[in-house]
Amino acid sequence: MHQLTDNALMIKVQSGDLDKMGLLYERHKKRLFGYFYNMNHNASVSEDLVQNVFIRLMKYKHTYSGDGSFLAWMFSTARNVRYDHHKKNSQHYTDLKQVEYKIDDGNNAEKQMNRKDDISLIQSAMMKLDQDKREILVLSKFKEMKFSEIGNVLGCTEGAAKVKAHRALKDLKQIVHSMQTL
Amino acid sequence: MKKEEFEVLALDYLRGSLSGLEKEKFEESLGQEEFKNSFETLKETWQAMDTIKVPEPSQQMDNAFFSVLEKELEAKENTKVSIGNLLHELYQWLMKPQLAYGLLFLVLVGVYFFKNEDNIPSQETIVSKEEPNAQEELVLTLLDQPSANKRLQGVYEVKKMDKTTAAITNALFATLNNDSNVNVRLAAVESLAKYVENPEVRMGLITSITNQESPIVQIALADLMVTLQEKESVKSIEELLEQPNLDSTVSKKLKESINQII
Repeated sequence: MHQLTDNALMIKVQSGDLDKMGLLYERHKKRLFGYFYNMNHNASVSEDLVQNVFIRLMKYKHTYSGDGSFLAWMFSTARNVRYDHHKKNSQHYTDLKQVEYKIDDGNNAEKQMNRKDDISLIQSAMMKLDQDKREILVLSKFKEMKFSEIGNVLGCTEGAAKVKAHRALKDLKQIVHSMQTL
Repeated sequence: MKKEEFEVLALDYLRGSLSGLEKEKFEESLGQEEFKNSFETLKETWQAMDTIKVPEPSQQMDNAFFSVLEKELEAKENTKVSIGNLLHELYQWLMKPQLAYGLLFLVLVGVYFFKNEDNIPSQETIVSKEEPNAQEELVLTLLDQPSANKRLQGVYEVKKMDKTTAAITNALFATLNNDSNVNVRLAAVESLAKYVENPEVRMGLITSITNQESPIVQIALADLMVTLQEKESVKSIEELLEQPNLDSTVSKKLKESINQII
């Protein structure tokens, strides 16, 4: 079945066919929720922020040029929404008590414990990483986004985005290593 | 491969987004111990990131979003209806005859001024050339209106003019001979009387005498001929006197007029 591209759907929204925003929401809600959740580890706040992103996309639909990628435009809006929320609430979501994680079903308790430790470690390490570095790693995990688009969202070149991502991953590795040796 | 290039390609390699040639080049660089060790630890951390679990967003999020979307759609629909109602009301308002003709008049005046502004060859031509044309257009349009009041207004516009044009004279005679409203025909007589120096206008008035059925217009034309002492009109007046249904008062008046002219 032929599917309209994100760009085509957004153009339709822009021309008054607001219904199409529902399709865009269904396509991207999980990705956006993942982005916010990885940044703040608060499910309820992340849900609110996802909604705020789509409200903004509707409100500022006239600013969509249609030339660039919809994903880049959406994540730029998501960044602004997150920034505004953070500024308004100045609440620290980095509190490790808020960290939620799920454990895959394991065959035995020991395996589960090891897995839990690993997940806790990488999640804890992520939360210790600077916001900017965490953000670029989270965005890099979205395979649908090219580095050129990530660069657009972050306001840098494609090459700079790649180097930043590489360095952020190196820092994360360092944090994990230092946590392991404690 | 330089360290910088390695840094640029490493993440793309991990994401699986390198082209065949680039992938080959990157894998070749992993033959170097320094790059290999660095990459292995990066890969481990990169893969560990996949184990970070993100909960599923709740149904509440969907409900909240679709409720907002529904409100937006309703608001849009209401705006459409409001605009529709507004346009309908505006249409009805404009369809009121007085307003419609008033607006038409304003539009014509607007056209008149607009044309004046558009054609600015020189100040002299504005006065001598463009103005009569605009006035002519205004008169012709008014004379063509279905409303007797507007046609009457058109006839009076001619009275304000210093000189007439062939198009206006023809339109006035058409009004005099064919207009359904007696007041308009009577006003046409008055307006044409202003240009009786023009032989064509005089002849047109004389010819019109036999076309008239309204007693008041017949008397007005007869009076005009007496004033002008137009001997050429006697024949036309006599023809009119021969009409079987002629009003007796008019007949008496026409006979008096012939006597006064002769």
